[in-house]
Formats: sequence, structure tokens, C-alpha cells
Amino acid sequence: MKFKIIFSFLGFLLVIFIALPIFKMLVAADPGTLVETAKDSEVYSAIFLTLRASLWATIAALLFGVPLAYILARNDFKGKKIIEGIIDLPVIIPHTAAGIALLTVLGRNSWFSKMSGIEIIGTEIAISLGMFFVSVPFLVNAAKEGFKLIDERYEKTAITLGATPWKAFLTVSLPMVKKSVISGSIMMWGRGISEFGVVVILAYHPVTAPVLIFERFQNFGLKYALPVTALLILISLAIFVIVRIFEDKKR
Amino acid sequence: MNLKLQKINKHFKQFVLRDINLEIQEGEYFVILGPSGAGKTLILELIAGLIKPDTGEISGVDRQKIGFIYQDYMLFPHLSAAENIAYGLKVKKMPKEDIKTLVAGLAVRYGIEHLLDRDVVNLSGGEKQRVAIARAMAVSPRFLLLDEPTAALDRNLRIKTRSMFLDLHKKTAATFIHVTHDFEEALTLADRLAILINGRVVQCGKPDDVFNNPGNKEIADFLGYRNVFGGVVKKGLIDLMGVSVAVPLDDAEFAYIAILSDDIIISKRRLQSSARNSFRGTVKDVINSSSLVEVVLDIGIDLSVDITRKSKEELNIKPGDPMWATFKVSSIKVFKH
Repeated sequence: MKFKIIFSFLGFLLVIFIALPIFKMLVAADPGTLVETAKDSEVYSAIFLTLRASLWATIAALLFGVPLAYILARNDFKGKKIIEGIIDLPVIIPHTAAGIALLTVLGRNSWFSKMSGIEIIGTEIAISLGMFFVSVPFLVNAAKEGFKLIDERYEKTAITLGATPWKAFLTVSLPMVKKSVISGSIMMWGRGISEFGVVVILAYHPVTAPVLIFERFQNFGLKYALPVTALLILISLAIFVIVRIFEDKKR
Repeated sequence: MNLKLQKINKHFKQFVLRDINLEIQEGEYFVILGPSGAGKTLILELIAGLIKPDTGEISGVDRQKIGFIYQDYMLFPHLSAAENIAYGLKVKKMPKEDIKTLVAGLAVRYGIEHLLDRDVVNLSGGEKQRVAIARAMAVSPRFLLLDEPTAALDRNLRIKTRSMFLDLHKKTAATFIHVTHDFEEALTLADRLAILINGRVVQCGKPDDVFNNPGNKEIADFLGYRNVFGGVVKKGLIDLMGVSVAVPLDDAEFAYIAILSDDIIISKRRLQSSARNSFRGTVKDVINSSSLVEVVLDIGIDLSVDITRKSKEELNIKPGDPMWATFKVSSIKVFKH
């Protein structure tokens, strides 16, 4: 009994630590100001840009990350640990550092920029790429763990029934790992939305919501930053709850 | 055309196959018998072309005509029973109407009509097995590869399933290759069998021949032989820790013998018989099992003898009783290694 009480108490403290500031902030912003803020075109275009850019990043990660996750889950090869380390790296390095690193590859004087003549710094593409860089580990790792849980013999059975490896992957492995992939995608999308460090370096403009919050706080103080923050949190919360409910209903 | 495996070597994860040579006749019920970890599944996966051998050749198998049933059946959990059965047909792009008819027919044949719309996750072991068989048979395989298909079932169902496989084999006339660790199962099912131990085929032949004449001590042990002893043989006598037993072999620096427990007669008094081996001993243990009673008799070495319940009652055997054990020289099997 004592055991349960102590564990519950420790957990309660943690939840309070996260919930309290968010709650305080939401009540501090009065509904009138929130509606006003939502009508501010700079605010809503920043919020939609944030949601959209992170969505592009997540879609790109599905295309590139799921195959990689599959390879990592199914095979043992030399250098696998190194690749896994590289994938985890964006989680542990400061995201401003990640932004600097990306600048060396995508920046105005980079080899990429000179060869292609394409200027992507300061565009939505740069924002998406930055978000992709820092949030893709969530999707790859979730999908990898999902594939690991699936017995390879399901795929082999599909192959003996006449399926090609492609067909077996699409009709057996992928549907079975769906839950992990969706869960990883939601995590990645959410992580992308919240990203500040890498985005502010790759593209101060067009401003994303986190950058806007920072800008308003810097220039006008807490009172002006608060409504934007509250709005972003409310919208994010609503989207994630809806996606989760939708996902639960489907199974 | 016969299925041939020639000089197959394969190293895969913790499993190794060494120099496998097998010829499996068309339409035969062939059993690969071996302890777990011997590499049995690996042979099936090689035959099915799911993995490639490191060296060696496999011929005489049409990979488009294979049915493979794994232990635990591997029914796709995201599909219903009917969708599982239809999988191979759908992959082959058969028209939907034809698939429906075929699946319905298979469901009747394997007694699973009532399961078609069910989630496969909630089926019992026996039901899963029948769905798996229907799924494999849907593509009309000429080779059916069975990987411990009864291991997940309880004993009664396992025995029933054996006759179902025999029946299926008769009806389809396909080549069956069945992997198991259960030698009773192998004995019941096999036209011929191969014993696989530590990645090598150690013996191959008709079940009776293999069971009656295991090639060496390792095989005898695996086949459940009791009363296996080793010692020096001189002038037709083997020395087993001081006990001299007459054997059908003149001289050997070392040999193993197996005295089949069915061939040992135990009695209260010494038997008047032509059998050259007769020993006085003490009953050490009396162990009841479902059909027989095992008596362990200490004659200097421990002999295990099976008797019926009735003879146990008649002889009134208890631990500590003095008894005689008698067996013929000709009933002893000898292995050089």
C-alpha cells in the first residue's frame, strides 16, 4: 500500500510540473485576447506555416525513414551501430548547432547552392528540412521497434504464397507495423511543430509560431507573447487529441 | 521428379547445416527428425528458396508450387480467416468471384466455415492450424513443407492431427516434408525419415529400419533408447563396471551396447532359459506411467525394464526386492561409436 502511495505521489509531482505552467498560461490569456490574436494574420499564418512545414517533414520521413527502419530492424551488418548513432544524434545535439551544420550544406555559399542555383535558406523548404533533421529520429526509431516486434516468418509465409518481397512488405509487414508508424509520425510532427533552434537559424522569415513567440517576447514582453503561445498550444492539443481518437476508432 | 539436396552447407544466425545430402521422392511423406536447434527449419527454408545455401545445390523443386506452414502458423493478424486463406490467390490476381468460391470450398473441406469472418488472433490452436492448412492448400502446392505443425497443440489434438496429415497426403498426392522433434510422430507419418543432429543428417531411411538400427549412440539416445552402456569387449563379453555381459561382438577397445527394455524379462527366480545373460539384482525404483510401469533394477548397473501394470501386481514388486533379469545376446544392439 505504502509502495503505491509513494509511487503515485512521485508521479503526481512530475505531472504537476508539466501541467501547471501550461494551465497558468492558458488562464492568463483571456478568451477575448485569444480571439483577437487568432484574427491577427501574422499569427495565424505563422501557426499554419508551422503545422504545414512539419507535415511535409513527416511525409518525407515516411518515404525515407520507414525503409531505413525496416533495414535496421531486419539486418545485422557492419556499421549498423554507427548508422543508429547517426540517427539518434539530432536528439542530443543543441538544435542551434544542428542549424549551423545544415547551413554548411544548404547555405548560400554551400556546394549545393552553387551547383543547383537554388536558394532555399529563408524559405518554407528550409524550415521543413530543419524540422526533418531534428525530428526524424522519432519516426525512424518508432518504426524500427515496430518492425522488430514482427516475426520475419510472416513475410516468409507471404513469399511462399507467391508474394514478391515488395508485395509482402506492403500487404503484411506495413499493415502490421501501422500502429508504430502512426504513433512515430505523430511524435515527429509534434516535435517539428515545437522546433525553434534549427528553424531560427535556417529561416527567421517566414516566421513560424515558435519564432513569432520568441520575437514578440523579445520586442514586446511576456504579455504579447502569451496569447500566441496559448493559441499554438490549444491548436496542437486539439489536433493531437483528434488524431489519437481517430486512430483508436479505426482499430 | 525427385527433390535433391546436394552437399548443402549453410551458416545462418546460430544455426549451421553441414554437408546435407538428401533425395526426397516425388509424392513421398518425408520426415526430418531432430532435436530443437538442429537446423531443421533451415532445411525447409532452403527448399522453399527463402534463403540461399552457402554452397551446394537444390534441384527438383518448383518454388511456385510450395505450401509452407510454420510452427505457430503465422496467420496474418490484421486479416480475417477468410482473407488469410485468400492471400495467395489474391497475390496471383485471381478474379474476386473465383477467390470467393475457392475459399468457400476450402472452408468446407477443412471444417472452418464458421470461422471465416473471425479475427485469427482469437482462434484456438487447432482452428489456427486448419486455417493455416487451408491457406497453404489454396495455391494447390505440389510440395507441402511443415515446420513442427503440431508442436503448439495439446497431446490429444496432436494425435488427431497426425491422421489428418496422412489423409491430406493421400488426397493431394503432394510431396510432404515434415519437420518434428517427436519420434512418435515421425514413426506414424513418415514413408522415410532423416535424423538431423547438430546440422548433420546422421541417418536416413524407412522409420522401422532407423528405429531398430540406430547408427550410433547419439542417435540411440535421441530415439529414447534406455540401457545404453559403454565398455571394453573381450572374447564376446563387455565389461560394464564389473558386470560382464555377453554381446554379439568378439573384441573391441570400446563399444556401446543398448539392451532394449522390451527384451528384458524379470522374475523372482532364475529362469531356465537359453539366454546367456542372467543377473541377480535389487529393485531400486518402480515408476508408474500412463500405460506401463518402469522398474529400475540394480545389477551392478541400473537396468530399466518396462512391465505391464498387470505383471507389476502379479509380481508384487517393491523397491528393495531381489529380482532376476534375463535377456538374450541377440537382443543387444552394438554401436562402435
